[in-house]
Parts: sequence; C-alpha cells; structure tokens
Amino acid sequence: MGKLEGKVACVTGGTRSIGRGIADAFLAEGASVVVNGRDPAKGQRCLDEMGAGDRAAFFAGDARRQSDVEGLVDFTVEHFGRLDICCLNSGGVEATAPVASMSDEEWKLEMDWNINHVFWGMRKSLQHMIPRQAGRIIVTSSVEGKLGKPGLAGYVTGKHAVNGLVKAAAKEVGTLGITVNALLPGIIETDIVRETGPASAAAMGLESYEAMIGLFCQESSIKRPNRVEEVAAVAVLLASDAGRNMTGCLFPIDGGTMPY
Amino acid sequence: MGFLEGRVACVTGGTRGIGFAIASAFQREGADVVINGRDPAKGAQAVEELSRSGSGGAAAFVAGDVKLRSDCESLVARTVERFGRIDILVPNAGGGSNYAPVVDMTDEAMAEALDWSFWHTFWTVRAALRHMIPNGWGRIIAMSSVEGKMGKPGIASYVVAKHAVCGLTKSVAREVGTMGITVNALCPGAIETDEMRAQGPSAAESMGITYEELLQTFANESAIKRLNEVKDVAEVALLLASDAGAGITGSLISIDGGTSPY
Repeated sequence: MGKLEGKVACVTGGTRSIGRGIADAFLAEGASVVVNGRDPAKGQRCLDEMGAGDRAAFFAGDARRQSDVEGLVDFTVEHFGRLDICCLNSGGVEATAPVASMSDEEWKLEMDWNINHVFWGMRKSLQHMIPRQAGRIIVTSSVEGKLGKPGLAGYVTGKHAVNGLVKAAAKEVGTLGITVNALLPGIIETDIVRETGPASAAAMGLESYEAMIGLFCQESSIKRPNRVEEVAAVAVLLASDAGRNMTGCLFPIDGGTMPY
Repeated sequence: MGFLEGRVACVTGGTRGIGFAIASAFQREGADVVINGRDPAKGAQAVEELSRSGSGGAAAFVAGDVKLRSDCESLVARTVERFGRIDILVPNAGGGSNYAPVVDMTDEAMAEALDWSFWHTFWTVRAALRHMIPNGWGRIIAMSSVEGKMGKPGIASYVVAKHAVCGLTKSVAREVGTMGITVNALCPGAIETDEMRAQGPSAAESMGITYEELLQTFANESAIKRLNEVKDVAEVALLLASDAGAGITGSLISIDGGTSPY
C-alpha cells in the first residue's frame, strides 16, 4: 500500500520538471493529483504520459494570476472532494536585470510568480485544511532562498520571501494538524532551467548557460546538479504520515551548497 | 525487497530510543545492521527484537562505550569483519551529565559531553570513511539536535557538543562530496526516550526547572506544541540512506516540529 493512499494533492507547475516529478511520485504512492500549467496541450500530454486514469487531472491556469491559483485549489476540492496536500511549486526566473536597472513591471512579474502565487495558494488551501484539521503544504523554494546571485534579484528575493512565509504559517497552524515546509533544491537541469538559463547566465555576467550550470555545481559539495527524483522523495516524506512532526522546515536538497 | 538490501549499517547507541528506531527501519528495508551499546543484556534483547520478524536484514550487537576511542574504532572494524563492509554509519549516541551553568561547570562534565557526542562522532566517522572512500559509496547520518542550532542555559556542554557535530558534518561533506558519500546531521527536537528520562532531570535542575517543565519548554518552543517521536527521525534517516538521498549532503535537517529558526 502506498504512503499517500486516498490523499488528494494539487501541484502548481506540475506538468513538467520538479512539479511533474512530485506529481508522479505522489501518484506512485496512491494519491490523486491535479497538476496545473498554462498550456492545455502540455497538460493533456502530461496526463497521457502519467497513465493514472481517474486519479490524475489537469487544471489550466497561470500561477502568476490570483484567480487561477485560487481556482486550482477550488477545482481540486470540487473534482476530488478534498485537498490534503498543496504543492506550490511553480516559479522561476522571468526577468533578469541588475537591481539598478530593473523595471517595476519586471519586479512585479517576479513577485507574482515566486511569492504571491505561494501566498494565494497557501491562503486558499488553509481555508480548506483548517476546518478539517489536516493538511500538508509543500513549497518549492530554492538554494537561492538562502543565498544570492547577481542579476537574479527578483528570483532570489521571492525565494527568500517564501521561506519567511513558510516559517510564519507553520507557527500559525502547528497545532491544527497542518504542516508547512519548503524544499530548497540546488540547480536542476529541468526544461525550464534550459529555457530561461541562457538569459540568467547573461544577467549573471557568465559567458554561457554551461558556465552557469558549472558555477552552481562548483558551489556544491557533490559537484553535479541535483535531480528531480531527489526532490520528489523529500516531498513524499513531508506529505506522508511520517512527516507529521516536521514543520517550518527549509529542507535542503542542494548537494551541500548552503552554509546553513 | 527493501531498498537497503545488500547494505550494511552501523548505529551507535542502537539498543533503544532513536538509535533502535533507525536500526529497525534499516533492518526492515533489508540492510544488515550492527547496533552498539554498553550493556550486553540490552544488546541481546534488541537483536532479538530486530530479528523477530524473520524478514529483512541480519542484526548483530557489539558492546562498547562510545566515549572511548578504542571502542569506537573497534566497532567499525567489527562491523566490517562481521558483514564485510560498512555502507551507512549512524553515530547516534550522545548526551551529558552533571549539567551546570558555565560559571560552575566542571572540566569533567564538559569533557564527557564532548567525548559522548562529538569525539565519538569524529572517531567513528574517520574510521568508517577509510572503508567508504575506497568503496565509492557511503552514508553518514550524524545525530545532532535542535540544540545543535540553538542554545539553552544550563546545558552548554550538550549544546557545544551538538554544534560541534554540525560543524564536522559540514566540513566532511565538502571533503567527500564527489566520492559518492553523503554526510548529514539530524536535528530532532526533544523526544521522551529512556535516555531523556535518564539525563533530563539533571539538565532540568541545572536550568532551575523540573523535568516536566523542561519537556513543556521544548513543546512550547515548537510550532506543534508537543514533543517529537523516534519514528519521525527514523523516516528521515531512511530517506538519507536511500538512493534518492544522494543529492542531499552537508545538511542539518530539523525534525523539531518547527522549533529551530533555520
């Protein structure tokens, strides 16, 4: 019997990369999962690949839009009758610029994606979880939630902010059977990193995407990128009964990069 | 088939409490397990319990006092002798006695806490690495504490020793990161184990409170307002020991119900 038998989860940015890895791992442990993404075609392909039948569903929506994030939570409850596990995983580097030249619009984009989406999803999920006195909220933060890189101030700031939100919310609901934790992965060569990486590398003053990956690896102890399945395994632990006494935790999955 | 089939683990202070829970979890997943403790009678009983299910890996007991370097080194040697290798080391034992505020603390009390938590970890880690490095695979899961990140008055010897374990963990992780060996520390909140019942009253007295108040203090500082349990810690140890744990090293993992600020 799976560790998440009978549980219902939703995952923002769940059609590929880390979110997809988490969704696949949850399905393998017996959960029902709603994955979210912007593109219905990719959503359908994702469902086809998962082959989980009725236990998987797709909800099209943009994590940078409040109504879409809240809509995902409502859809999950409507579709599967409850919400046990909310993974606020979407996020990334949309705008790359040094702080001195970043526009308000770029800054807002980064904040909507990386912190506001997490706040919207968490607030809405808690409204379902608190009356039931049970729930798991798992936020995908990053090694950049504790460190900093030039040129990526929006991303770095957003990820630091979600760490603060996780710690505060964990204290609020700690006695209500709800845990709130963050995953802090090191660099992973996902589709999204391959897409946005060249711009990030340029913003960081590096000559190539490969140089950026190399830099992240160099900062780690294992001298290689992390892997999606390493993050998914931690998500399963936190989502399962075994994770009931871990909360407010910023869980490193970074091959020994962060100093604390 | 368990995911630790073919692995060999060694757990200090493994006859009861957190150590026994970790040893049981490893054994259940197929690892052969050597547990250490001071009392052969307790050791025999623990091995009997581990073997009772008739499935999973084999279990053996090696008597020894982890406050002695020779016992730590021979524990690792005997693990390799018995099962041919050592893949997973859990230097779990630790503690202190004769707690007092620093102004009144004796050298002996500080030395005991350091021997028990820090030196024993150093001695076993060093000895185990000499086997793990040539094998190109290893998992070291050290036992720190919420007090390895924070501080409490009256128990500085324990706090210092657990902080030292965290420093060692981070340094060694950097040294062996490309060799297939991960090194992490677990930082549990307070758990009411036999060892806590044995050492807690002295710690509480040094803090000027009762044992019950000590436990309540730990619970109050957490987000969950209750103590942790040994199985919480065992589950994280399993994750770190698994293949998926390969990307996690140098981490000080809080299993403290939301107590530690980082």
